[in-house]
Amino acid sequence: MTETAAGAPGDGSAAGALVWDWSVRVFHWTTVALIPMLWWSAENGAMDWHRRFGLTLMGLLIFRLYWGVAGINTARFASFVKGPKAITAYLARMKRPYTPAAGHNPLGALSVIALLAALTAQITAGLFAVDVDGIESGPLASLVSFKQGRAAAEFHEFFFNVLLALIVLHIAAVAYYFIALKTNLVRTMITGRRKGAVTANPGPFPLTRFLIGAVLAVAAVTLVQL
Amino acid sequence: MTVPYRTLGKTLGAGFALFALAACGGENGASVSSEQESKVLPGGGTVKEMVEKRHEAMEDIGDSFKTISDQLKSGSPDLEAIKGSAALIAEHAPNVGDWFPAETSPALGVDTDALATIWERPEEFAAIAAKFETAAGELNTAAQTGDVEAIGAAFKATGGQCKACHDDFREDD
Ligand code: HEC
Repeated sequence: MTETAAGAPGDGSAAGALVWDWSVRVFHWTTVALIPMLWWSAENGAMDWHRRFGLTLMGLLIFRLYWGVAGINTARFASFVKGPKAITAYLARMKRPYTPAAGHNPLGALSVIALLAALTAQITAGLFAVDVDGIESGPLASLVSFKQGRAAAEFHEFFFNVLLALIVLHIAAVAYYFIALKTNLVRTMITGRRKGAVTANPGPFPLTRFLIGAVLAVAAVTLVQL
Repeated sequence: MTVPYRTLGKTLGAGFALFALAACGGENGASVSSEQESKVLPGGGTVKEMVEKRHEAMEDIGDSFKTISDQLKSGSPDLEAIKGSAALIAEHAPNVGDWFPAETSPALGVDTDALATIWERPEEFAAIAAKFETAAGELNTAAQTGDVEAIGAAFKATGGQCKACHDDFREDD
């Protein structure tokens, strides 16, 4: 698939400039769908499904982390992770009339990093988790002792609450932008575009780099199951 | 720009380590012992010692069960490891009923994951313990023959008893 920013930087067309490339959007919304499915399968003891969903999310997450380094403009960590100074400066700008950043703003960047880090921690713990009966276990549990596997499982169970808290905070922030700052972030995450956004023209979608990421993700998911 | 990464990484790492520590440390009797827990049982030893003993024994069983599970999942199961683990489970199995004297009930303020239902429905508990003993014996027999398929079936049957007992008589944390 090739997708380019519609028109030149500072695009004024009706569709608006591209803020999120499609792979970022697919990652975002698949994660949104998978988290309730992961929770449900764990609650109901459907551990085969829990493993499948978890491994799917792991693949997506590996891709997203790779895309944060090798992806395009707004997906790259280097483009949005900023220091405390930029965050303070941004906080002063957080009032109406509000001009949204074309990508993650310095404050939102913290939320992105926290969510990605929390997902990484949660999935890592899940890989090694062992249930109390010693029957169900994560795909890498054979590498650890029963006790370590139990500690991983307990962390996995406890840490879901941390993940939930971060998700609630994330949704609350999106609602704040919508209500207080009259900025619809959800639509942009669906269409990828925002009217009046100023973005650097990313050029054609880098298919080769995308495929390298996809192969990496699939390889990792296959490897942990060997 | 690297600041948030590093801080987050460190915080998470420390959190993980702390949690693992807490999870392990909790078992070593860090909790305050109540009066009930220092009571001496008719068979000797204190209530607290009995709770610790069954805890360790259950972990031994869990350890062995995981070994069998890991081996069955691997392409080429290590039969010697399976044999040793199955024997250990079978050795523990007949004693499970003895690890739960009435003095060790959480209803009396004892710190344990055992549920008071054990002593409210003693026949049911004894029935599961007996079934578990039978299943563990069969698992051991299958393990000594080295027939992987039979071991797999007996493993499932035994696991079903662990789960049945835990579902009804162990606090789900
Ligand atoms: C007859 C009932 C019964 C059977 C059968 C049984 N358990 Fe348990 N198990 C318990 C109870 C009750 C506890 C909680 C004990 C406590 O906290 O004092 C427990 C606790 C445990 C623990 C937790 C120790 C900890 O660290 O908290 C493990 C591990 C465990 N069992 C493994 C197993 C495995 C594996 C099997 C089957 C191979 C099994 N159990 C069969 C009743 C049973």
